[in-house]
Parts: sequence; structure tokens; C-alpha cells
Amino acid sequence: MSKKLEPGMAYDTKKLNKVFAFLSILFLMTTVWVFLDDFIRPWKAVQLEGMQIKKQKLEESLASAEKELDKEELAKLEKNLDEGEKLVVSRSKEIAKLKRELDGVRVRIKEEVIINGVLNSKVSAYTFNYGVAHSKHAPGADKLFVEMKQYKKDFAASSDRLKRYKGQEKKINREIDKLRAEVLVNEKAIKDLKTKVDLTKLALNKLKVDPVFVVRNAPFLDFLDPTLKIQQVVMENITDDRYFQHVPKVDRCMTCHMFIDQDGYEDQKNPYKTHPDLDLMVGLDSPHPMKSYGCTSCHGGEGHRVNDFSAAAHTPRNEKQKQEWIEKYNYHPPHKIQKPMFKVGHTQAGCVNCHKEVEFIPQATIVNEGRMAMEKYGCYGCHKIEGWEHKRKPGPDLVRIASKISKEFFKNWVWEPKRFNEHAMMPSFFGQSNNSQPDFMKKNIAEVNAMAEFIWSKSEKYKPDVKYVGGDKEKGKELISTVGCMGCHGVEGFDEASEKVGAYAGPYLTGTGSKVDAEWLVTWLKKPKHYSPNTIMPSFRLTNKEANDIAAYLLSLRNKKFEKLKFEPLDTELRDEMLVTYFSAFDTIAVAKDKISRMSEKEKTLELGYRSVGKYGCYSCHNIDGFEGRAPIGPELTKVGSKPLTQFGFGHEYDVEHSRDGWIKAHLLNPKRWDNGVDKPFKDLLRMPNLYMTDDEAEKITVALIGQVADYIPLAGVKRLDANEKIANEGMKVVNKYNCVGCHQVDGERGDILKMYDDVNEAPPRLVEEGHRVQSDWFHHFLKEVYPIRPWLSVRMPSFELSDKERNKIVAMFQHKAGKRSFIDHDEVVKWEPGEKAGAKKLFNSLACASCHTSGFNNDEASAPNLYFVKRRLRPTWVEKWLKNPQAIYPETVMPNFWEDGESVDTEVFGGDPKKQIEALTKYLYEIGTMNLPDGNTKYWSKP
Amino acid sequence: MKELINWVADPIRSFPIFSILFFIVMKYYRIVGTKKFAWIFTAIAIPAFFWFMSDPNFFLIITFPDNIPISILIVSILFFTWFTLHKCAINDQRIEDGLGPVEALPENREKVWCWPNLVYTELFTIIAGTVFLIVWAIIFKAPLEEPANPTWAPNPAKAPWYFLGLQEMLVYFDPWMAGVVLPGLVVVGLIAIPYIDTNPKGNGYFTFKERPIAIWGFMFGWLVLWIYLIIVGTFLRGPNWTFYGPFEYWDFHKVVAEYNVNLSEFLWVKWLNTSMPANLIMREMLGIIITALYVFVLPPLIAASDFGKKIIEKSGQIRYYIFITLLLIMMSLPIKMVLRWLFSLKYIVALPEWELNL
Repeated sequence: MSKKLEPGMAYDTKKLNKVFAFLSILFLMTTVWVFLDDFIRPWKAVQLEGMQIKKQKLEESLASAEKELDKEELAKLEKNLDEGEKLVVSRSKEIAKLKRELDGVRVRIKEEVIINGVLNSKVSAYTFNYGVAHSKHAPGADKLFVEMKQYKKDFAASSDRLKRYKGQEKKINREIDKLRAEVLVNEKAIKDLKTKVDLTKLALNKLKVDPVFVVRNAPFLDFLDPTLKIQQVVMENITDDRYFQHVPKVDRCMTCHMFIDQDGYEDQKNPYKTHPDLDLMVGLDSPHPMKSYGCTSCHGGEGHRVNDFSAAAHTPRNEKQKQEWIEKYNYHPPHKIQKPMFKVGHTQAGCVNCHKEVEFIPQATIVNEGRMAMEKYGCYGCHKIEGWEHKRKPGPDLVRIASKISKEFFKNWVWEPKRFNEHAMMPSFFGQSNNSQPDFMKKNIAEVNAMAEFIWSKSEKYKPDVKYVGGDKEKGKELISTVGCMGCHGVEGFDEASEKVGAYAGPYLTGTGSKVDAEWLVTWLKKPKHYSPNTIMPSFRLTNKEANDIAAYLLSLRNKKFEKLKFEPLDTELRDEMLVTYFSAFDTIAVAKDKISRMSEKEKTLELGYRSVGKYGCYSCHNIDGFEGRAPIGPELTKVGSKPLTQFGFGHEYDVEHSRDGWIKAHLLNPKRWDNGVDKPFKDLLRMPNLYMTDDEAEKITVALIGQVADYIPLAGVKRLDANEKIANEGMKVVNKYNCVGCHQVDGERGDILKMYDDVNEAPPRLVEEGHRVQSDWFHHFLKEVYPIRPWLSVRMPSFELSDKERNKIVAMFQHKAGKRSFIDHDEVVKWEPGEKAGAKKLFNSLACASCHTSGFNNDEASAPNLYFVKRRLRPTWVEKWLKNPQAIYPETVMPNFWEDGESVDTEVFGGDPKKQIEALTKYLYEIGTMNLPDGNTKYWSKP
Repeated sequence: MKELINWVADPIRSFPIFSILFFIVMKYYRIVGTKKFAWIFTAIAIPAFFWFMSDPNFFLIITFPDNIPISILIVSILFFTWFTLHKCAINDQRIEDGLGPVEALPENREKVWCWPNLVYTELFTIIAGTVFLIVWAIIFKAPLEEPANPTWAPNPAKAPWYFLGLQEMLVYFDPWMAGVVLPGLVVVGLIAIPYIDTNPKGNGYFTFKERPIAIWGFMFGWLVLWIYLIIVGTFLRGPNWTFYGPFEYWDFHKVVAEYNVNLSEFLWVKWLNTSMPANLIMREMLGIIITALYVFVLPPLIAASDFGKKIIEKSGQIRYYIFITLLLIMMSLPIKMVLRWLFSLKYIVALPEWELNL
């Protein structure tokens, strides 16, 4: 120690003080840092920039408002104002006198208000006191009564005076206004003229960065009333699952997405952009206003977190955007978030959680198309999905298969359906990436052989009962394209049209000649239910000739290459080996072998076939005898969107995006990929077959599936179908089952076959407000006994053998969709106004109705429906609506509009009054109408 | 090299290595306690650390906000251990030379005022500590995770850093032992130290030589059984509490082949080739006997040895027995660990029926 210290001191005090000073400054700096760290939030910078954008927008709109301002008018008004002011100045003496008077009145009013208040309270108090005293017979009651009465009287007098003074005040004010009239009128006119400019200026003023703004947003002070602050909505009806409690959802997204619910910011980049669909989402008048639904209820993500960009669980749409975000926002993927935000393009998945129990969600096109693809590929056959239980099995019944196709065909088909039909919807189980090793292939071959034997052994006897007599295949080909087959089937020879329609309810018809024999085919065409009572294939009421022609064409479609395929025979050794594996699941190999040795050859083959059908889940899509009631083979998908990511097996596929969407899409494109690089025994190979779907289909199915989440939402928050919607939805199930929408467009949805027609008037009719158009009882009957209505159509409404229940559901659906639940009283006699009937007849002729609606009026060829059947078929209100403007209902219809813009073509009848004319014409149609059907059958219609 | 380090870091290998290192350091504390040694060590350690940090997996583990206290802990323990050994080495050398410890020099015995010498400097420490904590809190945000989800537990689910030693013990012991009995005894033992250790030497000065049992015993428990286990638990245990080397990617799907067998199963099935007795006590007899021997027979045996005699002579019978029991229980941890690694031994006494496993 160089310096001598004072006794009793270990350190030099001055040195200590210096250390203390240094530490104090350090501490101060840290404290400032704490406040700055708290003050500087990423969203404040965002809001400041947003303010500039808003300012710029307001300035633009101010400029345009000023431009719009009528300068001349303004100058004129200002001149008038000046003159008025001069005039008023000349009257200033009178005004001053009135104002003095007014002051006097106002003093009196104030005084009276006090007196009145005092009296009022006294009245109340004395009323109460007297009431108590009176009921208890207190001695002072009478005195109290007198006093109360006095106060009541005083109070009434005071109130009256008050009214009088107020009347005086009003009167004087009016007089003053009268004296200042010239000024007031012009002032108001100027203000009205400048409203927009003034309001914009006011809004602009609020955005000024002035000292007040600085103080309000300064660190330390910004807890008082900052202008830059976190914005939020709290949703009462939608909750967040915090695992031990459900708490109202809080979204603060609008802290940065400042203009999401305001239009006019569509041209900005994120986060300042307006929501792309304000009419549907977020907008104040939309069905999902921001206040009630927030953002994350659809988008997913952590809406309450605003600490930085990553915290909200934003999800980039692709790798490129991810890199951009990393650079821009220091982005890192969310960690352990149950539901990260859906990618752009996957957002519709968010619809599914609230819009349950419906077949299709209005406007959610991607989800709907995804669901259609799921229907096409039959995902729901193997995987249970809540809400899909009513759907029929995606594959055809195999209970009579032996009478339809050959065993050889069956085996080659099962081995690789695409070899026979490149459009086959049956997926491929074999020859895939995980089972194409030679030893696995051999075992698969044995399995396919055994399955064929098993299914054949279960197959019922069936004999077609219509003879094929040969036909004209060209005619048959034409019939196929005109009669309506292509609403459900793609057909070879019409490849372009088939692709346009994209039908998937029935198989793509190719190579039919290599598949089935002629008699089976003709019988099938004539009466599909004869072979398969469960089929949805309807009868087109084909004549024998037509059926033979179509059969001739279909039989001419052959797949020569496929016919030549020979399937390898059953390897009995491998069969026994596989059986040992099955039997030794719970037993030793010796016991299993012993068991097998006691079985006959046939028994062994059938056993392996049975096991294999179970193993590959054939029964999930096809009805096979012996598998009734077995649960479908795949895991349930109802809540797949909530399955923790850690439970998805990514195997050794490191290139697959590590997310739910990434896994599901990769899985759909190649379900076998997870076996890559894994050594597995034959029995444990992944079994989900390859569907060979397109990237687009996989993407859409992914969206539909990730929306299947387990999130609980209170009833008040979800879309609940009302009674009408429920009935409509039930009907929709039937409509989808029979693929009615393959041909008919229902209120703008589907109508796949329309796409192959150049002229929609040649296509199956579109059903717009069908429940309003047709009468319910007629409709019910029509669905059972179809007859042609539009004589010019070559496409036919087929005869479905619907059950009564199904027909009722369809009718009810249309009734409820159109809000028309009534029936029409047919016994009502048409009541005419005087001269109305003559007018109607005249109109009928002058408008030349019968020139198109010829049936029953002349012998020309009809190009419009028979008017005699209107009475039975259509609702009068609809007929009126139709007459008034047919194009409003069907823009392409050839029915002329006789009352365009409310002007009648015929100006004579009823003085050209369109309403009267339409009414009269409708009445006429119902008077001439018949209750009979075209075939003369009236039985159904007559009243009991 | 990295593969080698990963391989060595597995507790099966690193625990013996660490224990041997511990013994070498303690044995040759006079060499370790030199400044020259410290400088050489630092010169090697710093580049080695940067080389470690260049590995992305190691970087991830070390910079995880939860793990930062452990890094601080490692550095401070290295320093303070060395510092103690350094002081001890000097004093022991002086005592051997007959000079007495440094702390006993007259200039070091001079008395100074409490204010400002103590209170003022304490204030400095408070301020500096606060500044340090604030800066730490600002730079490394609180590592809070998502709201607890009972259906989606974190993997690995790690205890707070200071409990990771206990959690590591769970690998080898029944939760009852690792979670209740052993920690309880650690606390009891720590409380008991002043009453057991009546050796007045080392009061107010650093010395190793004058109290070897206390220092060896405590340092073994502290460095090998506590700090080492915390380091393993923090840096080397990943998803599913599987071991991952410091440079290894925490692959969620890593599987370790492990199948553990109880001592009773060894006895009855493997050695005697008979079925397990139905009577629980009978079944676990061997384990119970061994445990009883360890706890009740070993202390008197040791008491008869030179080591035991010395302690009894110095501190009496009761202190000896308390001390030796605590020591034996402490040693049961490394014993159990070694048995697990060598023989895949699950429990010595396995009575899951009574929730009692040793």
C-alpha cells in the first residue's frame, strides 16, 4: 500500500466515493434503460407510420373535397352573409334590448328552478312522513297533512311559473333569430356546403404531431392518455382455451393492422392493408364484424400478443416469405402454439370450426372444393369424420361382383387400378415406394389372389335379365352425351367435355368392353337397381334400343393392354407364411403352424383373403359380406387440426415442412413416404393407399382438414342453423347423395354438367328459388313419376328410386330455402274483375304466348313448356314474378320480357297497366290449367 | 473430435471421468492452486469455449435463456474453487514452514470501522448486483412458456435449474427417494454440519491440510453429486430425458436401448433359476439384507478401522455415527449410478406394492 491510510480504515474514503459515483451513474443509466425498454415497442413505430399513411389519405381526400366544392356558390353565400351582417348591425339596438330582456328572464328561471327543487323535495318528504304518521295514527298526522297540502299547492304554482318563464325565453330567442335571420340562413348554407371539407380538416387536426401529442405519448407520462396505444377487441362469445379455464378471446391485431376494417386502404402494403373481403369479414355490416369475431377466431394465432412480430404466431406462406420475415422482423417460428396462424390461402380452414353440420359452407370455396375432393377420393370411407356419417360408402358394393367382372380382371385392377383407367378413383395399394421390394411384392400378389378368392366366395349369384341384341355405337355415343350420363360420369370419347364437367359421382367410363359383358351392361343401363339395390345410378327410362346403342358404344371401349395382363398365381408357401404371422400374434409359431396344417387349401386361401380385406380396409369403401359393422380402417379425422404436431410422424422425411399443413399435404401426395428409410416387417408397412391426387387437390383437402379442430366455442359464438336451414341442410344431404347437383345448379351452386353446354338453355334447368317456383305436392310426385316438361331438351331428368323420406327431404329443402311452406288450394275458382278475362285473352293473343308454348293451342312444335300444366305445377306468385322479368331469374332465358322497365308491350289492354296485365294473364293460366298429368293420370292429384 | 466429446459426455463415461478429475484436482491442489496453473487453464479454456460455441447445437443449448444461470454458475464455481485451493495451498505451505496462515499476519488482524469499510462497500455490492440483474432481465427476457396445457406437456420437462440435480437423480432412484428422502437428508445434513464438525482448525483462514475429511466430503457432494448433475441435467438431457451430447441435435425421436432389472429378479430368476416368491419380503430379501448391511453393519465396521477410530477419537461416538450415516447415504447415489450402468440394475429393493423402492 503506497498511501498511508487513517487508522481504522481499510479503504481510502475518496476512492470509495468515486466508486459510489460511478455505480450511481451506472444505476441511473440502467433505470433510464428500463423505461426506454418499456417505452420502445415495435407496434409504436408501426402506428406512427400508419398515422402518416392516414394523414396522406386524408390530405388526398381533403384536396378532392376542396376540388369538388362549388366555389361560385360559396362566394355567393359569403357575399350574402356579408350583406346580412350589415343588415343585422343596423338592428343592433333592438337586439341588445331583447338580449337584456332575455337575461332578466334567465335570472328568473334559475331562481324558480331552485324554488321548485326545494318544494319538490319537501313534497316527497312530507308525503312520506304523513303516510307513516297517518297509518300509525300519530298525533301530528293532521298537522302534517295540512303542511303537505300547502307544499303541494306551492309546488304546482312554482312549476307553472317555470313553464311560463321558459315560454318567454323561447319567444325572445325566436325574436332575436328573426332579427338575425339573414346571417343565420347564410351561415348554415355555408356550413352545409363545407361539411366534408370541415370534417376532413378536423380529422387531419387530430393527427398533428404537436406538443400535446408529444406530451401524451412521452415516456413516463404515457400511462395517462396516450394516442399511440394498444387497440383491442374482447369477444364475449368466443373463448380461448387456457387449459384450466376458458377466457374471452382478446385480439389486438388491429394495433398494427390499423385499417383492417376501413375501406380505402386496399392499395397499402401490410400491415396497413384493408381486409380483402370487407363485405364478408371484419366490416361493420358484414356477417362477421370485428367487434364480435375479432381476427384469430378465423385466422388462428395468438391475437393478444403484441410484443413483437413473431409473438402473434404469424405463419409465412412459403420459404421465401419466411426468409423475408427473418430479415425484416427477426422472425422465428412459433413455439408450442396450439393453433398458429393459418397460412394465407389456408385461412378458410378457420370457417370449419363454427360452421359445423353443413355439407358446404357458403363462400368458403377452398374448403368446399377440398370437401368435394374428399368426397371424390372417399377419404371418409376409411376415416371417420363427424358430420360425414350419413354418406354412403364411396366404392360400389361387391356383394355380387362375381357376376359382373372376371377374377382376372379383379386382381389386375386391384393391383393397379390406374393401369385400367387413368381416372380411376380406386387408390393404389401395391407397387408403392414402401412395398415394391421383390419379397414384399410376392406377398402382396399372394394377398390379392387370396382376396379375390375370398370375395368371390362371398359373392351372391346374379343373372342379368335383359338381352343384348347389338346396337348402333355412334347413336349410343351421341345418347351418352345428350341424355345426361356425363353429369356423373366422365366418358372416353368426350375427354374434353369430361374434364370440363369434372364429374366424380360415377366412374370414368373407359375400357368398359374389357370389364363387363354385354348382358350385364344392358341390364345395368335399363335398371341399375336390378344388380345393386344400393346404387345411386338412376334409370334414364331408356328404351331397349337406346340401351343397346349405349351398350354398343361402351362395349367398343376396350383396354387391350390390360386384357393381356396375366396375374401371377397364388404362392401357397407365402400364403402359409403370412397366415403363420397372423396366427402367431397371440400364439407361438409352432401353435400357429399346427393350426394351419389342419386347414384345407381352400380354407387357408379364404382365411388369408379375409385377413387381407381387413388389413387393407377394402370393407371401408365397399360393402363386402362378412364385414358389416366393422369400424373403418383409418384414424378419425374429426379433430386432426388440433392434433399436436409432435404426434405427427415425420419419419425420415426431413424436406417436408414441419407443420400440420405440411404433413397432411405431403401425406396426401404420397402416404407411403413415412416408411422411407425405415426398416419394417411386411405386416407393419403403412397401408394408406396412394390416391395420385394433384397438388391442387391435396392443398384443398389440407385446408378442409386442418380446419377440423377440437376448439371449444360457446354456443353463442358458433353458427347455429335455424329451423329452415336445418331442414334445407337435411335435404342437401339427399341432393348430394344422388348427385342432383351434378346436373342442376341449385341457387347458384354446382351444376357441374352446365360447363359442357354452350347454351345453358339446352342444359338441365337451373334451380333458382325452386321452392317458390313449384308446388310442393307436385314436386313430391314428380320426383317419383318423372315426365318431360321442357320439350326442347334432349337431356333427361332420370328416375331415381327415392324413398318417401328422401323425397320429402328434398321438397322440404326447397320449400324452406325459398321460405314457402304453403300449399296451393286448387279448388279455388278464379275470380275475375269485370272485363278482366277478355283482356287476359286478348293479351294472350297479342303477346303470342302460343307461338312457343304451342302444346294444346296449335300443332306447331313446342319450344316452351305446356301451359296447361302450369296450374298444377307452378305457384301463382312465382308465375307473376316470372312474367314480370324472366331475365331477372334466368338471365339467359329465351322467354321475352313483355314488361321491360314497367312498360307493357301491349299498351291497349287495361291501358297498358303492367300489374293488371300480369295478374290477368296469371289468372287466365290458372283457369285454363288442368289438374291432369300428361299421361292422363289424375289419381294422385284428386282430393281425398 | 466432436463425436468423441459427445461420446465421452454420456454420464456412464463422464461421471467416472469427472470423479477421477475431482480426485486429481483435490489431491494435487498445490499445483492446481498456483496462478500459473490458472493462467494456463484459462488460456486453454477460452479458445476451447469459442470452438464449442461455433457448433450450432451447442450454441442453441448455451444461449437458451433458462440455461444462462448455469453458465454463470460454472464460471463462478471454477473461479471460487480455484481461489480456495489457491489460498489453501499458500497457507498450507506456510503452516508446513511454521509461518502460520496469511490471515494471522499482524496487518491482517488490524481492526477497521464498520462504516464506511463494510456498510459502504455492501451498498456498492447491492447497486452493482441490481444493475446486473436489471441488465440481465432486459437482454434475456423471462423465459416464460405457453400457458400450461395438461394434454401437451413440454418435452423435456425440466425443473428450475437449481433442481436439475434432483431431477437427474430421478433417473436412478424412485421418486420417493430422489424427491423426498435424499433432498430431505441433504438439508438435514447441511444443518447438522456445525454440530458434527467440531474441528476448530481453519477458523478465519484457508486451509486444506488441517481438515481433509470435511473438505473432501463436502466438495465431493457439492461438485460431483450436485454441480455435475445440474450440468448434465441442463445441457445434456434433451427430449424424453434422453442423453444428448453437447454437439448433438435434439432429435425428438432418438431412442436409447435400456432395459433395467431388479435385484430380486437377478437373484431368483437368473441366479437361483426359480420363480419369484409370492411373499414380498421374501422376494426382496437379498436387497433388504444388503441395505441393512450397508446402513447398520457398515458404520460399526468403519468405526473399527483407522479412519473411523480417528473420527471417534476427535468427535465422539454419536457424532461419528451421524456423520457416517449421512456420508453413506450420500455415497449411495454414485453407487447406485454405477450399478445401473454396469448391471442395468433397476432397484435394489423393489416394493412397488408399498411404493417403496431403493
